[in-house]
Amino acid sequence: MTEAEQAREEVAEFQKRIGALREEIGRVIVGNREVVDGVLSCMLGSSHALLEGVPGLGKTMLVRTLAGVLGLEFSRIQFTPDLMPADIIGTVVLDEGAGGARSLEFRRGPVFANIVLADEVNRATPKTQSALLEAMQEHRVTVGRSTHTIGEPYFVLATQNPLEMEGTYPLPEAQLDRFFFKLSVPFPSRDELHAIIDRTTTTQHAEVKRVVTREQVLQMQALVRRVPVARHVQDYAIRVLLATHPTGEEAPDLVKRFVRTGASPRGAQAMLLGAKVRALFDGRFAASIDDVKATALAALRHRVLLSFEGEAEGIAPDRVIEEIIKKLPGSKE
Amino acid sequence: MTPSDGIAQLRRAARRAGRRARAAAVFRRIALLLPLPLGYSVVVLTAVKALRLDAASQRIWWLLGAVPVLTLLVGVARVLVARRPSWQGSIALDQFHGFHDRVTSALTFSQVPDAERTPLMQAAIEDGVALAGRLDPGRAVPIAFPRELGVTLVLVLGLGALSQLEVRRIVPVPAPPSFEPMVMSPDDIDLFRDVAKELQAKNDDPNALVAVRRFNQLIEDIAEHRLDRHEVFQRMGDLERDLKGNLELDRDARDEGLKGLARELEKSGLSKPTANALDEKRLADAEKALRELAEKLKKKEGRPSAAELDKLRQALEKASRSNEERSKNIDQRRRELEEERKSLLKKKADKPDGGATPDLDKKLADNERRLEHLDREKDRAGRSQKQMSELDKQLAQAAQDLMRDAGQSAQDLEQGAQDINRMAKQEASEEQKQELLKKLQEMRELMRQQGKGGKDQRERMQRFGQRARGQSSAGQGQPGEGQGEGQQGGKKNGPLRLGSGPGSVPIEIPVPVSQSGQGQGQSGGDKPGGSDTGPSQNYGNGHDSNLTGNATDLKGQTKDVTAAGADTGQGAAASQVIYGAAERGFVGRGYKQVFTDYQTVAERALNQDEIPSGYRFYVRRYFQLIRPRE
Repeated sequence: MTEAEQAREEVAEFQKRIGALREEIGRVIVGNREVVDGVLSCMLGSSHALLEGVPGLGKTMLVRTLAGVLGLEFSRIQFTPDLMPADIIGTVVLDEGAGGARSLEFRRGPVFANIVLADEVNRATPKTQSALLEAMQEHRVTVGRSTHTIGEPYFVLATQNPLEMEGTYPLPEAQLDRFFFKLSVPFPSRDELHAIIDRTTTTQHAEVKRVVTREQVLQMQALVRRVPVARHVQDYAIRVLLATHPTGEEAPDLVKRFVRTGASPRGAQAMLLGAKVRALFDGRFAASIDDVKATALAALRHRVLLSFEGEAEGIAPDRVIEEIIKKLPGSKE
Repeated sequence: MTPSDGIAQLRRAARRAGRRARAAAVFRRIALLLPLPLGYSVVVLTAVKALRLDAASQRIWWLLGAVPVLTLLVGVARVLVARRPSWQGSIALDQFHGFHDRVTSALTFSQVPDAERTPLMQAAIEDGVALAGRLDPGRAVPIAFPRELGVTLVLVLGLGALSQLEVRRIVPVPAPPSFEPMVMSPDDIDLFRDVAKELQAKNDDPNALVAVRRFNQLIEDIAEHRLDRHEVFQRMGDLERDLKGNLELDRDARDEGLKGLARELEKSGLSKPTANALDEKRLADAEKALRELAEKLKKKEGRPSAAELDKLRQALEKASRSNEERSKNIDQRRRELEEERKSLLKKKADKPDGGATPDLDKKLADNERRLEHLDREKDRAGRSQKQMSELDKQLAQAAQDLMRDAGQSAQDLEQGAQDINRMAKQEASEEQKQELLKKLQEMRELMRQQGKGGKDQRERMQRFGQRARGQSSAGQGQPGEGQGEGQQGGKKNGPLRLGSGPGSVPIEIPVPVSQSGQGQGQSGGDKPGGSDTGPSQNYGNGHDSNLTGNATDLKGQTKDVTAAGADTGQGAAASQVIYGAAERGFVGRGYKQVFTDYQTVAERALNQDEIPSGYRFYVRRYFQLIRPRE
């Protein structure tokens, strides 16, 4: 078997697993196909996602289901204003042993899991938020003089409630930037509501089973990294990123008027990794410009900061990014 | 298909799509920019037609049209040379077919060296190659007609229609140059027609006849009002020049030549009659004398003696050489004068002070004058030699033959006589030409005088002409008309009985009475009943009603007698004829006779220079006007 054939098999296998994951998740989560794919993309991209939606849309359920189908360790952190960093990363406690010997022992916090759900992350204080974000970035926690590594895969799903902004601590831009995607969970449609009601108000109770092992997840993550990107696709992603900056050569008027700061290079990384995942989702061997376009919104919406004028005008970052995608020609290389 | 073939196929398809994309871009650009020069052309053409701009004014606008044309060319050139994405064609193919950049990725990864190519790249390449057969560059990159072409089409049609539009321009046609024909009164035209007829009848020389015909044609053209004043004078000048030619010069030269001959022939008794006739320019007599001499030589009896023949031979020989000798003498004299001139110039140049002395200059001027005189003489001698060449030859031959064969010599002399005859005819022809020249000069002078009088003059002449032919009731003596000096009044005063005519019938002749006591008409202008304005510059044309003036009021012891002429049967008296002409016009045999008598006297006086030169024209003109009419 040639390497190409082997690669084709890997991709086929990937596609098969993704299909199984989607199917299994779909047994519990109604609709939200894009959100599910987004979450999966973040996970396969070895990164983290920020979910924003009103309460009751199944954000927590989704994460739980994802953890269930992946067979990974899951923990949930409900962020409150009084939450302390030690509450999430862990603390050192004085432990008494069998002989009465006392020792200091680090008790891991909930952040030490494969999949962490940080619910309403904007409700906690910045100090607590930064403790989580450090763990997200470093994949390890430092307490005192000891550092504790978080096992792979490590995937944090944070949620935000767009309604309750009073008494919240919006995540700073630098920390928002650490999230791979920001996914908006839409309100379900009428049919979807019917399905949700059917599943949650009856004796029906869907149980998910594990369809992908931890090792398989790691393999899939590795495969994603190996997906090649043609030069023109990469160039397109970069051009989109540059277009989010008001001083960008190809920045449209909307950006020049309403954007204060554009996306960081992490935005391009997110777009390209997301494009690779999408390519694999379709069984393709290379990412395309369409894949970049498809991931641009999720990858950039939380990275583009509006100016006062933009906020006063009520311009949504999504609109800015859509404008960029629309106006930017396909390829210049 | 091997991967490399597949890649090649992909590349071909991609290149084709790329070319089509470039062509489509160029096409769009042309469609976008072409309306610029077309629109400009429409605007300029409209302005040209509406404002009726001339070529010079148009030029700047058409030159400015280079700007939109350049804009078009630059715009298209920019699109042509614009840098395009490397895989523009393949991307277009991917987009059209919905291949998600599989083709482009395959082409991109195919350029990665094998060592660096990952398995997924290879798989992507193979995946792209598999799509090669499905690619359709034609449909993927259509070259559509841009919408802007509609505007171009409309502009082109508009331009075409506009160019066909003809804005008529009313250009005032300049009035044709006024042609004022030369007008001569019918009376004068008849006069010159008669002159032409007379000349034609008298002339037999073909050259002279040609000139007369030209003169005749000129008269006819004037009568038909085909010529203006300038043309008439021009044609008269041409005719005059052709007639004159070298008339006078040739005539003088011939006369001189004949004189030279006469001088030599006089030395022989046999040729003396011929010499005398030649000397007096009686060419007909000279011809006759020469022929008689030839007859004499032919005869066997009564032939001249040998001495006489020898003398004759010498005379003939010298006569034949006379013209040549003369030319040689002139040449010799010329050479001497040239030498003298050179010597004088050398003396002048050698003078230390630049050579200017009055004496030397005078000698040089004198030498120059003599040289000029000699040149003229030489010219005359040349002409003479030319005209006398045949006669000289005959005389020389006659001299040669005289000693051998008198008969042959006689024949030569007869031929010489024929030459003299030819010269005589030529002389006659020259005289005829001179006469025509004279008539031309008269006509010129007449036209000059008429030009001063203007339209009134012409009308008066017309009326006069009618009266002269007896065509109008001009016998009433209308004021301001008629002949003679300008007069006042002009009223008829009643008949004067002059006695009885034939059959004792009194002849009543109307005699106009002058208002003055002088018996002379007073000078005045042309206007009827005009006041006494003093002496006139022109000859008058009024009518003196009082030809005889008032009767002399004599206070004395006289008694009136009535005298009457006896009728001798010789016709009316001249005065009666003249009086009659005033009423009836210048017609009739009697008048013609009277006129001829008077004219003869007048011509004699003119030829004998008894009349001052300034008045000659007027005298001639007077007689022309009163000439008899048919």
